[in-house]
Amino acid sequence: MAALRKWWLGLAAIALVGMFAPRARAGDAPAEIKIGHLHAGSGPYASISMPVYLSLKLWVEQQNAAGGAFVKAYGKKIPLKLISYDDQSNPGTAATLTNQLITQDKVDLLICDSGSVLTAVSVPIAREHKMFLFDPTGTGAAFFSKDNPYIALLADPVSTVWPRYLWEFLKSDAAKLGVKRVALLYSTNDFTGTQANSVRAALKEAGSPVEIVFDQGVPTSTSNYSVLIDNIAATNPDMVLELGYVGNDIAFLRNLQESGQKFKGVFTLYPGIETNVLMKNVGAQGLAGVFTYVTALGLTLKPEVGLTVEELRAAFEKAYGEGGVEFGWNAIAGHVTGLVIGETLAHADSLSQPDLHRAVFGLSGKLKTLVGTFELRDDGAQIGELTPIGQFDAQGKLGVVYPPDVATTKPHLNTP
Amino acid sequence: MLLHALLGGVIYGCYFALIGLGLNLVFGVMRIVNLAHGDVLMLGAFAAFFLFHLFGLSPFITAPIVLAGFFLLGLPFYYLVVPRLALAKDAEMLSLILFFGIQQIIEALAAIAFGSSERSIPGRVLGVGPFHLFGQVLSRAWVIAAAIAAAAVIALYLYLYHTRSGLLTRAVMASREEALASGIDIHRISARAFAIGLALAGLAGVFAPFMLGSVTPAMGVTINLSAFAVIIVGSLGNPLGTVLGGLIYGVGLLLMQTYFSAWADILPNLLLIAVLLLRPTGLLGRRVRLA
Repeated sequence: MAALRKWWLGLAAIALVGMFAPRARAGDAPAEIKIGHLHAGSGPYASISMPVYLSLKLWVEQQNAAGGAFVKAYGKKIPLKLISYDDQSNPGTAATLTNQLITQDKVDLLICDSGSVLTAVSVPIAREHKMFLFDPTGTGAAFFSKDNPYIALLADPVSTVWPRYLWEFLKSDAAKLGVKRVALLYSTNDFTGTQANSVRAALKEAGSPVEIVFDQGVPTSTSNYSVLIDNIAATNPDMVLELGYVGNDIAFLRNLQESGQKFKGVFTLYPGIETNVLMKNVGAQGLAGVFTYVTALGLTLKPEVGLTVEELRAAFEKAYGEGGVEFGWNAIAGHVTGLVIGETLAHADSLSQPDLHRAVFGLSGKLKTLVGTFELRDDGAQIGELTPIGQFDAQGKLGVVYPPDVATTKPHLNTP
Repeated sequence: MLLHALLGGVIYGCYFALIGLGLNLVFGVMRIVNLAHGDVLMLGAFAAFFLFHLFGLSPFITAPIVLAGFFLLGLPFYYLVVPRLALAKDAEMLSLILFFGIQQIIEALAAIAFGSSERSIPGRVLGVGPFHLFGQVLSRAWVIAAAIAAAAVIALYLYLYHTRSGLLTRAVMASREEALASGIDIHRISARAFAIGLALAGLAGVFAPFMLGSVTPAMGVTINLSAFAVIIVGSLGNPLGTVLGGLIYGVGLLLMQTYFSAWADILPNLLLIAVLLLRPTGLLGRRVRLA
């Protein structure tokens, strides 16, 4: 009888805790959720970092205008506070500021700067502090390992996976068009270096119909490709793959246009990623026939969460129209970062780092944003929607040429 | 490949000689290190960008506007900053700190005003089609930009060696104290040299979108590193040495790109170390008699 009474008392206690727990948690809720972030306001990575920052800031403002983000751990909406420091594109400064966000500002969620160069310094620091790192666009393969549960790549596919459609296209459709010899020119950083390694490995597989006849890395600071183009031409390739950041691609395509050299095919990364910037700097004529990745900018994906590309473009241009920061893929990546943060807060049982990890990985395969399906590998690498391969026409319109199931036009090679 | 690298290197080197020229003139006359030199160049580049995109002005028209404008801005700026700096015990070191601060301010203000995106002017503005030289195909925009750089170098040479003002400038470069004792108005001469230095940087900026692909507010730091390599190789304070330094830098860079492309960006540092170890006064530097 006494044992039965104990059971009843125990059950009653659990019921009472269950009834009052949400109220108690809401009472303990912080006045704001602190989101720590780094951006490059100046320096060589500013042009890829500022759009991410401004778009994330816009998302935070939109959330706060609606009363904040819903935080499951407290059962209510809580305003967000974005603490974003300017690392000036300096990895050393980025390392110091990452530490500051964790140890001094004691942020609840940590987002690193954009791009692999500046992400690289935050990865080990976050891991050392056991702080989960929301990585918007740092795609370097070295950041992701099964023994590091403190990172997730949010917007871009990891660099080892990202070029899959590129090498598939080279070995199938491009080979059928007559591409047998390829020149590979890349900037030596984690982002494009990893993509180059991945493409090289695929093209060197036994039975590959395409061989690499030129394979050189250049510093990311390279702004002059004239001699390199001449050197590439000397190897007589059918197609040139130039993998670099925005400034590299602009310099390469301008130098190519001015050099008088013509290759049957040219692939570069950024015309499809930051189309506005490339169009303004290189022009439709310089982009005609160029192959590139087709991001959400050139696709019509219907999101289940957040804005569409056109809604985001309108909001971004309304907020920052004349600010000298172009709307492009990186602005979209900033919005995706915000959406993942929002969904994480809405699903995490607490703001502890293991719970944040569980919540982020719980979204994998379920969250559909304007860039497609958010899907994580178990090491935190993004493997969601891959970017198809596209080609610009003479009017500067980008059509999808590969894979065949989403192709909107047929690829063609130039006459050298 | 070798011939193309050599020809391209000479053309690229002419442009880098122009970049280094203003910096070296300022150092030679005033013994101050203008760490904001690359950012003045960046302002020249943005002036060319906006004048082209807003008013359709060709760089050929923008160049004299920028030259005159930056010269006129340089005169009051000199009187605002340099005479006070010259009174300091270690003006050379203080100038490093002061101009580093100015460089940071210019870059930050430019980033706020112009944004961080890359900007450029279409290459066709300087002529359509490639340029053929000794069987090699070169960018026409490059050749024109290099020709203008060469013209600016010759103009500076004529100013320094064939005008009275140039003679006085060289006197101040040789010895500031002796020039002062001879009754030369060193501030008037220095102000003129300072303004010419800024004007040359501005002129180099006008052609930066063609030589460097695109321009951003952050470009100044990289430009400074190259400019310092150029003037130290040639010799500090010697404008003619800058031409030699520019050519060595240009040819060296393109040879590195041809044979060791991944290591090309260490060239400025390699040149600096080599010259400082083997000939600290620079290739055209004079020996200094200490006793």
